[in-house]
Amino acid sequence: MKYLGITLERPKIGVFDFTGCEGCQLQIANKEEDLKDLFDLVEIVNFREISSDRREDYEIAFIDGCITTDSEVARLKKIRKQAGILVAMGACACLGGVNNLRSRFSLSDVIREVYDRHHINTGPVRKVADVVHVDIELPGCPISKPEFEWLVRHLVLGIEPQFPKYPVCVECKQRLNSCVLDMGLMCLGPVTRAGCNAVCPRNRLGCWGCRGPSEEANFESLIEILREKGFTEEHIAERVKFFNAFSGVLNSDR
Amino acid sequence: MLFKTITKENFKKMVEGLLEENEVIGPRSRDQDLGGNKIYRFLKINSFEELEMDYTRSYSSPKNYFLPFEEDLATYRLNDKDWEQEIRYTIHPRVIIGMRACDINALLKLDQVMLKSVYPNPYYFARRRNTLIIGLDHEPLEDCFCRSMNTDTVFHGFGLFLTDIGDRYFVAINSDTAYIILNQFDAREVTEEDQERYKTVKKQIESKFKTQVDITILPELMDLEFESEIWKKWGHKCLSCGSCAMVCPTCYCYGIEEDTNLTFTKATKRRFLYSCNLLDFAAVARGHNFRPDAHIRLKYRYYHKFRGFVEAFSQSLCVGCNRCGKACLAGISPKAVIDDLIKTEKK
Amino acid sequence: MNLKIPKHDINLEPFMVGPPDFNRQTVLMQTERGFKSEVVNIVKLTAIEKLFQIRISEPCERENFTFLPGQFVMLELPGCGEVPISISSSPSNREFIGLCIRKVGKVTGMLHRSEPGAMVGIRGPFGTYFPMQKMVGRNILLIAGGLGIAPLRSPIYWVNEHRSEYKDITILYGVKEPGQILFDYQFEEWRKIYDLNLLTIVQNPDENWKERVGLITDLFEDISIDPENTFAIVCGPPVMFKFICTYLANIGIPRQRMFISLERRMHCGMGKCCRCIVGSTFTCLDGPVFDYWTVMNLKEAI
Repeated sequence: MKYLGITLERPKIGVFDFTGCEGCQLQIANKEEDLKDLFDLVEIVNFREISSDRREDYEIAFIDGCITTDSEVARLKKIRKQAGILVAMGACACLGGVNNLRSRFSLSDVIREVYDRHHINTGPVRKVADVVHVDIELPGCPISKPEFEWLVRHLVLGIEPQFPKYPVCVECKQRLNSCVLDMGLMCLGPVTRAGCNAVCPRNRLGCWGCRGPSEEANFESLIEILREKGFTEEHIAERVKFFNAFSGVLNSDR
Repeated sequence: MLFKTITKENFKKMVEGLLEENEVIGPRSRDQDLGGNKIYRFLKINSFEELEMDYTRSYSSPKNYFLPFEEDLATYRLNDKDWEQEIRYTIHPRVIIGMRACDINALLKLDQVMLKSVYPNPYYFARRRNTLIIGLDHEPLEDCFCRSMNTDTVFHGFGLFLTDIGDRYFVAINSDTAYIILNQFDAREVTEEDQERYKTVKKQIESKFKTQVDITILPELMDLEFESEIWKKWGHKCLSCGSCAMVCPTCYCYGIEEDTNLTFTKATKRRFLYSCNLLDFAAVARGHNFRPDAHIRLKYRYYHKFRGFVEAFSQSLCVGCNRCGKACLAGISPKAVIDDLIKTEKK
Repeated sequence: MNLKIPKHDINLEPFMVGPPDFNRQTVLMQTERGFKSEVVNIVKLTAIEKLFQIRISEPCERENFTFLPGQFVMLELPGCGEVPISISSSPSNREFIGLCIRKVGKVTGMLHRSEPGAMVGIRGPFGTYFPMQKMVGRNILLIAGGLGIAPLRSPIYWVNEHRSEYKDITILYGVKEPGQILFDYQFEEWRKIYDLNLLTIVQNPDENWKERVGLITDLFEDISIDPENTFAIVCGPPVMFKFICTYLANIGIPRQRMFISLERRMHCGMGKCCRCIVGSTFTCLDGPVFDYWTVMNLKEAI
């Protein structure tokens, strides 16, 4: 394929699942009508959810899920060694994500509650960047297919992708949504990275911060605002810690 | 200017007639805030009943019907190394009902930039030319300070402008299209009684302004207080979220992005509304940011509104609607900031 | 009943026909219509800078395109983006435009990967220019730091083509390291044919460097300036302006006779997007060339 006279290489891609719901991988497999174009652009050599190929010659690795076991650590390190570019994909890989909720309890209690007396090997929840160097973080819970395709185009062109630095409010206001904070709902939109088209506030859920913090977000001001609006410390902490996107923001963390 | 009156009954018929032939935009409410107040916005209306003529203020201004938040400036067909550019200006006739004097004045200010200054903006021009505006007077809200900004009345930039005088609307007529439409609904000549009632209503409106903002020496103050601590004070609260610019009827700063489809056969050049409060507004390719701090960006927004625009067009780029003040979660409003500036000056 | 809002289709207006003339700012409507142009030659200058020679494809568009020294164009790679670039070729060269481009971002990075024959878009020219007419009969002092030499090439060509109209021409050119020097293949021609005095200086010399070492301001020791009869043109990183212009002002050159070219992020080039506003001044419309008096009065300009 050529673009502006420049021959584009067809990079080999691997998609790997770790601890998570695999929803982000499903997003890649979604929108079938575009899959052919996607496969023309990149060669998928290792992606359990859609193909039985298990080649190890991938150049770009997409990591779905967080890291919880020793075997996952070893596997991730091996992938890192092979991949020229490693992309952490989705809230679990980028932040720890929903899985991190269990970090609030003692690990042995969690294991007993879920698995009863079965032996299970699991450790603390870690985001990918806690274990290996991450080149690109593709945010979202789940990731969005259009944004994934946008990223792939950048990877094929060899251009560093620039994710929005600004918060969700920009997109929310552009969609003429009512501000859910005005309506009495909790929302982390003012400190969360945009790019989701404000899908949660649009559906009157308030933002949960799945895309991680916007750049130079003013947490202090937002938390002050939430307090003034009458949200309890507990309620604020519950929301702020949900995706593990804002660690260190609350005084109680320090 | 020509004036007529139309009964509310006939106005309803007129709107229904317009609805049959055109897309009609008007104020509608969808949600309520915590205090039980309706939250209004300018949306497409499908029947006269959806149009809320007693609305207070739309959360966001209707500027997006002239300057959309996102629009394609050009598309390209790509083919190996060659390409063809295509440009089509959107021609979409429509009616907007219920715009306030401040919002129409805001358009007149945008006209200065988009039509009357160098490099006219054809995309804006196409929308402006194909939109019939039916304005609507209202009693000022607590925080309206359009009077201070001299934008509480409007004399052009619309088709019709309505003032409620009881069972009728007093109508200022400003375009032939509007004149033709109005005359099809038994609009009658203004009687002496109509005129008296109009005067009374106008006086009442005038008497209800509560918020004043002193802009007498504001342009100078912007320079004199350029290093003032008050910018830091407000900047500290600022979320740099751009909400103010999005809801503002006059903020027009934008960015341009280009992208291709997955097969690199098509490309688009897209304009998207940006805000000078956003972190990377003035960042350059090498990573240098000319406005790295929230307070500096906040200051520049005010500087553009109350100093830069005055210098260029002898008027400020604010119409006193206080939508930014309402939308700002951190409570930053022009009134509060300007009062602070004036106070600092007096010290 | 006639209630249909009449359609005004501006796509059918006369201004849609024919190539846009960006020099007719007040009436230009096809603001986004780019001139399709071919990259006819690419000259590698340094590890990160290349000179692109670009030729507008359509003859009538090419004939229409005229600019003055100091003006810039918006260079577009469709699907990739658009960037402002100062023109660094001669205004009298009607065959191609020279653009000296450093690889810094998305668009410039892609452009560096392209090969001759690639098609790009050009809009422009935009912005103010160095007032070469006003300098007739005087000395001109051109001072460049780093990539700042690129926009100065255009006035240098101009001066050569009108050499008898100007008196002494001096170029001071400073870079950090010898490897960053641009257009050194032209230096001999400039000195011999253009009859100008060119002094170079580097901060970190290598073993082959034979000329001055130090900061660009050190070169003032090597020349004599007649403040009454000299115009200055200064281009380079913002930190440089202050030191140089302050020095020149101190020796008596009026600030209105010093011209500098500012650089800002621009998305439109037409005074609309506001990305390049300095204080209340649009770099794209009121600049990029400003006299130093104006710059001194701009908030946070340099």
